[in-house]
Amino acid sequence: MSVTLTPAPPTETTVEAAPPRRKWPIGRSVVIVIVALFLVWTLWPIYWMVSTSLKPAKEATNLNPTIWPHTLTGANYRELFGSSLPFGNYLVNSIVTALISAVVAVVISTLAGYSFSRGGYKLNGTTSIVVLATQMLPLVVLIGPLYLLLLKAHLLNTYLGLVIGYTSFAIPFGAWMMKGFIDGIPREIEEAARVDGYSRLGILVRVVVPMSVPGLVTTAVFVFMNTWNNLLYPLTLVTSNTKQTLPPGLQQSFSGTFKTDYGGLMAASLITSLPLIIAFFLVQRSMVRGMTAGALAGT
Amino acid sequence: MRSCGRSEAIDASTRHPSRIGAGGARRHARTLVLACAAVSLLVVSACSSSGGSGTQNGKQVVTFANWADAEQNTQPGIEAMIKEFEKENPNITVKSLPISYTDIEHQLVLQVQSGNTPDVAELQGNYTFSLQATGALQSLDSYANGSYQQSVIPQELQLGNIDGQLVAIPWTVAPFALWYNKKVMAQAGLDPKPPATWDELLTDLAAIHQKAPKIIAFGTDSTNRTYGLDQNWPVMKSFGGVPFDGKDPSADTQAMKDYLNFMRTVASKGYTPPNKKGGFFRQPAASDQVAFTIDGPYVKGVVQSTSHVSDAQFYQTWGIAPLPSGSDGKHYSAPTDHQLVMFSKAKNKDAAWKFMQFLSTSDYAIQNYTLKYENSLPPLQTPTGEIAKELDNPISQAFKTDVIPTVIRPNWGTAYDNAYSDVMTGVQSAMTSSSSIDSIASHISSALKNDLGG
Amino acid sequence: MTLPALLILALVIGYPIVRAVIISFYHYPLLNPQHNFIGADNYRRLVDDPVFWQSLQNTAIYTGVSVVGAMLMGLVLALATENLQGPWRFFRGVLLTPWAVPVIVVAFLFQFMFEDTGGITNDLLLRLHIIDSAIPWLSSSQWSLAAVIIANIWSQAPFFLLIFTAALGGVPVEVTEAARIDRASTWSMIALIKLPYLRSAAVVGALLMIIQNFNNFPLIWAMTEGGPAYSSTTLVIYVYRLAFTSFNLGYASAIGVVWLVLLLMISAAFIRVLRGKTS
Repeated sequence: MSVTLTPAPPTETTVEAAPPRRKWPIGRSVVIVIVALFLVWTLWPIYWMVSTSLKPAKEATNLNPTIWPHTLTGANYRELFGSSLPFGNYLVNSIVTALISAVVAVVISTLAGYSFSRGGYKLNGTTSIVVLATQMLPLVVLIGPLYLLLLKAHLLNTYLGLVIGYTSFAIPFGAWMMKGFIDGIPREIEEAARVDGYSRLGILVRVVVPMSVPGLVTTAVFVFMNTWNNLLYPLTLVTSNTKQTLPPGLQQSFSGTFKTDYGGLMAASLITSLPLIIAFFLVQRSMVRGMTAGALAGT
Repeated sequence: MRSCGRSEAIDASTRHPSRIGAGGARRHARTLVLACAAVSLLVVSACSSSGGSGTQNGKQVVTFANWADAEQNTQPGIEAMIKEFEKENPNITVKSLPISYTDIEHQLVLQVQSGNTPDVAELQGNYTFSLQATGALQSLDSYANGSYQQSVIPQELQLGNIDGQLVAIPWTVAPFALWYNKKVMAQAGLDPKPPATWDELLTDLAAIHQKAPKIIAFGTDSTNRTYGLDQNWPVMKSFGGVPFDGKDPSADTQAMKDYLNFMRTVASKGYTPPNKKGGFFRQPAASDQVAFTIDGPYVKGVVQSTSHVSDAQFYQTWGIAPLPSGSDGKHYSAPTDHQLVMFSKAKNKDAAWKFMQFLSTSDYAIQNYTLKYENSLPPLQTPTGEIAKELDNPISQAFKTDVIPTVIRPNWGTAYDNAYSDVMTGVQSAMTSSSSIDSIASHISSALKNDLGG
Repeated sequence: MTLPALLILALVIGYPIVRAVIISFYHYPLLNPQHNFIGADNYRRLVDDPVFWQSLQNTAIYTGVSVVGAMLMGLVLALATENLQGPWRFFRGVLLTPWAVPVIVVAFLFQFMFEDTGGITNDLLLRLHIIDSAIPWLSSSQWSLAAVIIANIWSQAPFFLLIFTAALGGVPVEVTEAARIDRASTWSMIALIKLPYLRSAAVVGALLMIIQNFNNFPLIWAMTEGGPAYSSTTLVIYVYRLAFTSFNLGYASAIGVVWLVLLLMISAAFIRVLRGKTS
């Protein structure tokens, strides 16, 4: 199937360079209606999150919800960073562990993917399944032994412990994606570089990596998002509040034993989502291309 | 780790340009050594960042696992406690290990398994029994001396006694009561007196629901957690039943069916939303959108922090009463008390005990934490001075004189951890499905038989 | 560098798996230091455990409906937004945003929106007279799984939009042009020309999402904790409860092992479908 999908011409140029065609292949109005409907479906919950976060506590939990906040307040946000709650710590911990995990996983996945692709190993069905198997392990069951393992290595409550946990389960899949992507890079280019006297690593760094940027971005985003979303790991592998990441931090602080504070929760949720939404917006074009060549061609 | 690994990869690949991944034995050995070095480096760097217990800078260290420090509401309070204690005891350092309420039980069990326990921990309800079952708790009989014992309400001390051994002391005292909103009752044309029986409650709920269908007429915790069963235990008991006794299921009884029918009524008539935590009802209570709710003393703090009403206004609106009774006229309640335990591996036991005692009964802690942040009662037998003054209000008085005497201990123990889910899913089925109560009761019973027996 | 990394990896992944398999043959209560070897007892118990079967069924419904729903939605959106030009393409970015919203946030958000009373979903549906009385989204056995699935589809449809967009980019221009010259209708263009090109994207995407949904703990745990009763309890929730609130690690591990085998079989089937197409 890599034959059918790769090399993929970048989406944008296809559209722009195509000879004059009807602009709206499906009826224009149908498209507008569909897109509009789904925009509402997509944006309404996000609007609700934003507007709730701007309501005072009493209004946020009113049994007759106000669609537009009657009183706008920044109190929920001030409380997030002003109170003794280490929300800033959660944010920093999440960003640091997610970034490190993404970088580490991408570096190792690229190396592994490259040797899978060029080293003469054939990724047959069985290997693919084994790689996928690491993705489907019931983490809930593994978390106990993993806890004991990290405890013995004195890695509980450390960034490193989290990063090792996160990346271990991300690398096999990352390598699989990178392999698919590197498969799409013509070997002739590498041969040319070899003739020019580049070492194997030189080829990798100067030739292969620059040509796989969309794949790298896609892998990085995958790892970053999985890390950012992970609740179970930090919940179990981190016992110190100041070392905690956002998901368990959110859960502990806002649906604790005392009350469910939706206003504060929504404010914290928005802050938690923003970095990801922004990052995602910036890289989505690369991701479309990365997906084409990597995830879809990987099998 | 990455930098040393990478330099290795560079020279390996330059020497074997055509064979990545398949090198000579020498290279393998080198890689292994490097891998080991990398791992040990990680270990060393991690070790230096995590301090052990024992002593630090010549001070005795007490580690304290608790959820007070993990929650926004109580965090400033508990931090002030630690600061004050360290000021009073300059040779002791308290290190707080915040763990959320939901996770503290299994976190501590895992820590016991790995031989790495804190010195002191905050526990509640069955958590204490689970931890006691691991054999990791320190008996406090020799620490809780005469003067401490005499200062504490005997019934409260008894709650920390498991199999004749004192393993936990009371910190904050907080039994379940029935909170009633006089304003909402009056609006529904009711005499703002608390119902004494479940039947009276149902009559009141009907009136309120008819008048204001959007108001949550009745708040009750029906979540599938041990806390959910804790709250429902005294309710079941007042109907004359308990779901299990020791290792024997006793859920398939008329009394339990009466209880399940009651729960079905309050849910199906829309008086209460099922599967909600007790804490869920506190915030809407602040804007008078809850009429009755079964809860500990925590309601006041949340209501006041949300709606900023004065004490006087609060007492005008809210009152408490013992949980209603069934046919036999007896009232029951269960504790939600936060207890303190010491682990037998604690290095500085005297310092740990000092800290526990400070939190439990010192004037400073009671005034500035127990009353102020937890809105709970102190475990003191006879409070004096400022504390007595602060407790001189209708809610605290009613808790002390009317509710605390009705407290019973649910059948906590290791079986409880297995059984709570069987019972609470049955309760939830009664509330949310159309299966017959008979079949639900026998279902609970057979599920319990499996789980209690094994 | 690869080798040491792979060694750590093997340890971190391998050790817990081996441990879990071994533990599954033991009576292993975490509270009690005594662990007895009991052979296949945990597996035998599983056969007669109605909660296990219900969790399995819920997992199948949750995973199946979520994946199919999200896939259809993603497909429609990918086709609809395929030819958006210039600034309009911004909308595709907007449609992708839910994927960037952390799962735990999705859980809290939809829990809030699905409150029986005071929840905006019921409030709006009532105001628009679409329903007559409030739907007990999260508090009834009939609706809880549906509510969780809706939240899940909201969060995962963009993933399919993304991969279908990528796959549509792979349809050779000559093919679509040739069809256009033949005056193929919009629908036959989609059905006959484009859909076949999306097949592998659909298979791979579905497989990834099936796996992810099997492991999707935060969403359900934060929204319903698997309730009411066991109505939204999936395997991951059941295992978590067994392991971390009932401390029955042996039985939890046995279910984990069965789950792994199950997923391996599903993936093998999927990969066979893929290979069958390639060769």
